[in-house]
Amino acid sequence: MVYIASWDEFAERSVQLFRADPHSSRYVMKYRHCDGKLVLKVTDNRECLKFKTDQAQDAKKMEKLTNIFFTLMVRGPDADISEASGKEQVEQVASKKGRGRRQ
Amino acid sequence: MVLLQPDPFLNELTSMFERSTEKGSVWVTLKRSSMKCKATRKKMETAGETIEYRCLVRATDGKKTISTSLSARDYQKFQASYATVLKAHMNALKKRERKDKKKTAEPEKKQASSKKKSEPFKKPAAPASKASQ
Repeated sequence: MVYIASWDEFAERSVQLFRADPHSSRYVMKYRHCDGKLVLKVTDNRECLKFKTDQAQDAKKMEKLTNIFFTLMVRGPDADISEASGKEQVEQVASKKGRGRRQ
Repeated sequence: MVLLQPDPFLNELTSMFERSTEKGSVWVTLKRSSMKCKATRKKMETAGETIEYRCLVRATDGKKTISTSLSARDYQKFQASYATVLKAHMNALKKRERKDKKKTAEPEKKQASSKKKSEPFKKPAAPASKASQ
């Protein structure tokens, strides 16, 4: 499967994929420290979406998507994911402020 | 496959990240699961019972596999600690491109183009001298 170049496209399509078939979908994160590479994969054994990056800023986006998937998997595919991503944003802003003051 | 409680799982995940710094990868898989086999699930479905789903988290470094399952009660706490573990260990990724460009470009510029550096200083100086005339 070819890697999806755009993060937004990957995030949107992976959530769609999960919602279409929650039973057989999985979300895999692979991290390779020595090469500094991060690969995300979402598949339902028929279709496979992959995203590859070596950028630290994408790790933050990945964190958000991971939280969305936690919520979707625990609460069910119809769960409100705007809450999960919204909370994370608030947390990020708070942590940024904290860092600034320390420095 | 060892099924652990969320906290020991995170500890083990941390040591997995630490072991794989020089070579190897770490895989973490999230899956929606009822932790029951298909047959039981079908029985429950036909009986009209509601199936409780949990989030199954598996991690492997290629040699060892660990797993944990999260209920609706403890997933938010796990989510936060999991993010902390990732942040602490994913430090081989590149920082923002802008910063990288500056860092790599600066040593080259210092040697190659002292002219370029002086140019920005001249520009603001020129209108100032005109004004004084």
